[in-house]
Amino acid sequence: MFYRVSGQFKTSYESDMALFPVKQDAILLAFILALFYVAFPMMASEFTYKALLVPVLIYALAAMGLNILTGYAGQLSLGTAGFMGVGAYACYKITSIFPEVNIVVALLLSGCFSAAVGVAFGLPSLRIKGFYLAIATLAAQFFLVWLFEKWAWLYNFNASGAIEVKGHEFFGLVITGPNAAPITQYYFVLVCVTVVSFAMINITRGRFGRVWKAVRDMDIAAELVGINLMRAKLSAFAVSSYVVGIAGALLVFFWKGAAEPNLFDIPLSFKVLFIAIIGGLGSIIGNFLGALLIVALPVLLNLLPGVLGLEINSATLEHINVMIVGALIVFFLIVEPHGLARLWALIREKLIIWPFPH
Amino acid sequence: MSVIEKAADITASSIGLQKAEERETLLDLANVSLSFGGVKAINNISFDIKRGEVRAIIGPNGAGKTSMLNVINGFYQPQEGVITFRGSQRRSMKPHLAVSHGIARTFQNVALFKGMSTLDNIMAGRTTRMKRNMFWQILYYGPAQREEIAHRRKVEEIIDFLEIAHIRSTPVGKLPYGLQKRVELARALAMEPDLLLLDEPMAGMNLEEKEDMSRFIIDVNEQLGTTIALIEHDIGVVMDLSDRVVVLDYGRKIADGSPEEVQKNQDVIDAYLGVSH
Amino acid sequence: METLYQIFADPFVQIVSAPDFFLQVLWEGLVSGVLYALIALGFVLIFKSSRIFNFAQGIMVVFAALTLVGLHENGVPAWLAVPLTLGVMYLLALSVERVVLRPLVGQPDIILFMASIGVTMFLIGFGEFVFGGENKAMITAELGIPTGSIEFFPFGGFVLIEQKDLTAVIMAVLLVLCLLLFLNKTAMGRAIRALGDDHQAALSVGISLSKIWVLVWFIAGVIALATGIVWGARAGVSFALEVIAYKALPVLMLGGLESVSGAIIGGIAIGLLEKIFEIYWGQPLFGGNTETWFAFILALIVLLFRPQGLFGERIIERV
Repeated sequence: MFYRVSGQFKTSYESDMALFPVKQDAILLAFILALFYVAFPMMASEFTYKALLVPVLIYALAAMGLNILTGYAGQLSLGTAGFMGVGAYACYKITSIFPEVNIVVALLLSGCFSAAVGVAFGLPSLRIKGFYLAIATLAAQFFLVWLFEKWAWLYNFNASGAIEVKGHEFFGLVITGPNAAPITQYYFVLVCVTVVSFAMINITRGRFGRVWKAVRDMDIAAELVGINLMRAKLSAFAVSSYVVGIAGALLVFFWKGAAEPNLFDIPLSFKVLFIAIIGGLGSIIGNFLGALLIVALPVLLNLLPGVLGLEINSATLEHINVMIVGALIVFFLIVEPHGLARLWALIREKLIIWPFPH
Repeated sequence: MSVIEKAADITASSIGLQKAEERETLLDLANVSLSFGGVKAINNISFDIKRGEVRAIIGPNGAGKTSMLNVINGFYQPQEGVITFRGSQRRSMKPHLAVSHGIARTFQNVALFKGMSTLDNIMAGRTTRMKRNMFWQILYYGPAQREEIAHRRKVEEIIDFLEIAHIRSTPVGKLPYGLQKRVELARALAMEPDLLLLDEPMAGMNLEEKEDMSRFIIDVNEQLGTTIALIEHDIGVVMDLSDRVVVLDYGRKIADGSPEEVQKNQDVIDAYLGVSH
Repeated sequence: METLYQIFADPFVQIVSAPDFFLQVLWEGLVSGVLYALIALGFVLIFKSSRIFNFAQGIMVVFAALTLVGLHENGVPAWLAVPLTLGVMYLLALSVERVVLRPLVGQPDIILFMASIGVTMFLIGFGEFVFGGENKAMITAELGIPTGSIEFFPFGGFVLIEQKDLTAVIMAVLLVLCLLLFLNKTAMGRAIRALGDDHQAALSVGISLSKIWVLVWFIAGVIALATGIVWGARAGVSFALEVIAYKALPVLMLGGLESVSGAIIGGIAIGLLEKIFEIYWGQPLFGGNTETWFAFILALIVLLFRPQGLFGERIIERV
């Protein structure tokens, strides 16, 4: 009914390959964008920005980066947080060495650093496959966090060992540091995430996306249809780490405001991995759904005792949250191994033929 | 190409069929040997493939036929011997370069990208011909899209040619075996090869599917002028399709010649039926 | 020049000039190596029988130890707490098989791996929810583990061996011997190995998949409890222990995912090398704490030259 596709005929390859071959999809996206750009800011309080909206966007971005590597190119990575750290520390160093540089330029550059580190740790993927590679990416995770801790130059020899973000201006508007208004930070992150999302959608529906998926599905066959495995895998590592690095920089600069090395420890890697899995491997939209679920869950859990009139301390709530997330992951894998994105695709297919079953 | 030109082309190639020996040599293997540890998979084999012919490679199981194809497209590097393709010599080659040299193949056990649609699988065969870099890919609209559409047009021609338009957007993992084999052939054709290696294209097919596949192979050879090297167990198919046959047994070449000659060869009969010593 | 000296000469000078200290370092490395090997063994068993890369193995160690200590804290005497904990581990094996493995049978490896991460998270949350998140002391004395120490005086020096470490090593050796006997000499053991080779074939000769899985996860639970007790005696019990669980991963890379002997040799090798590196290179040159990553980088380098691991068979790719 709402998703009637009859009457929408494709007369050129161009229209068949369009981002939204079905008109209703475009309308839906416009609606979601309006929600994020107009509706949410009208309703949101400072708490909503800090606890819900900004984290959802940043986690979704990180999961999108990981999804390029794991979901599209099939290379399992457990070192995401390490690469996020590289992005964050690179951005911190760039802004402290060249304070006058525009924050957007700094962000774009810090992505390059994490991409380079990603490629370096991606080199073993040319020889090592599957689980062995997953463990190899843990090497990156542990080594990088250790480096953030021991290399004092990275945090400007601060006594605390942490990095603290100073105020930066963007065309006269304070967008980072303690004086920045949450709404400006939110819009900045939102624009960044929108731009990167479209870039990733484009890149995954073209040649690179096909090459990556071919490597994921059968690397030997991919090689024999003329795909250079080394280039394919390393390009996936580069693009993935670039996006992940930017997400890391945004995390510190536009959300946390400060970071200690252990922020980039393995729990963050897992969190991002879960978002990617629950959202759906091999999907861009899924990352947002997954992030929404993982971020909103503890927020809701925290509200729950108040609603029910129970007294539960926050540590116990945290434990319950971890437990539920674990159970959710198993649940999702059993019900739909391809995540929320596939669930949405199934619903959409049903809607297209609704109200007739065939 | 107009109909008349096409017809002329077909006549030319069917004239050529009679005189395979006089044609230009496309691929020449000289004294090739390949071993894994102590096992000799291929032992000092020489033969050639002429441009435009259908060359069958037959032999009992374990004779080294698939290894032979793997050597030709660079997946295995032979320890000895020289391979001459289109006039240039090589010993070893990176497998992914085979396609840009003009060699494409299909596999004994279907090797498609199971999570991708039929269309994407065939488009993947065009990868080496697509040149737009990361920057244009990210922008998508503009040059990258024009390139994509140009290749899509070519791929749609192949889809029409092999009559698989109805499964264009189905994930290949969900297709029946016979159709998967056809999609694999389509992907190989998308590479526009000079030499097409087919590894048991009809294994596990019923009679009807075999007939379809035979028709496609003949069409590819005659209409597109592609040279074909074919491994097949169904002797009837081999005799009908091929111009020349080479027979392997235990990694050695035991016969080489026209289907009729090979059929009468005593060594071949012994290899297939067994012989008492 | 100074750095070169520190890298290539100084450590060896120190080893030669203080051999007793070097022996002490070796012993410490050996003890942690044995424990890494035990955890890796649990991984290998499960991987062999069900092709699941069980990320939860390390957490099972903590969970088992926590259950034991938690039960004792709540008034259960030690002699009863051990069998009760084993019962809990059996229940865990049973429910993992029912709730996680059975619905996911036949899914790609990566999905099962993710599911085991889910189980990991659940166990962490559940364990902390029930027993609290703070560090607890292992009930070493109640379990009858000796706590004294033995002193040696080789090369005119001084080496100190804690009796609980010695107990750990002896217990590990016994456990491994029992396991090898079980795997190689009993019908059940043969069934497990058969399952590891080929699920379909094993099913067709009448081996029950679900029974074997419960059994294997239970054995992994027993190993986890043993590891938890001895490691807990050294470092206390809390989920901070999960760090050692990660250590078993490079051991698996070195030893191969399916090799029992690989897990043992790889574990001991990594335990020794990381300790030696930390003491003689890590602390003087890199500011210490290199143990977090050394094993991973080492395994990575080895794998670059031998992608199949030290004990794996060479893979010939076929199409």
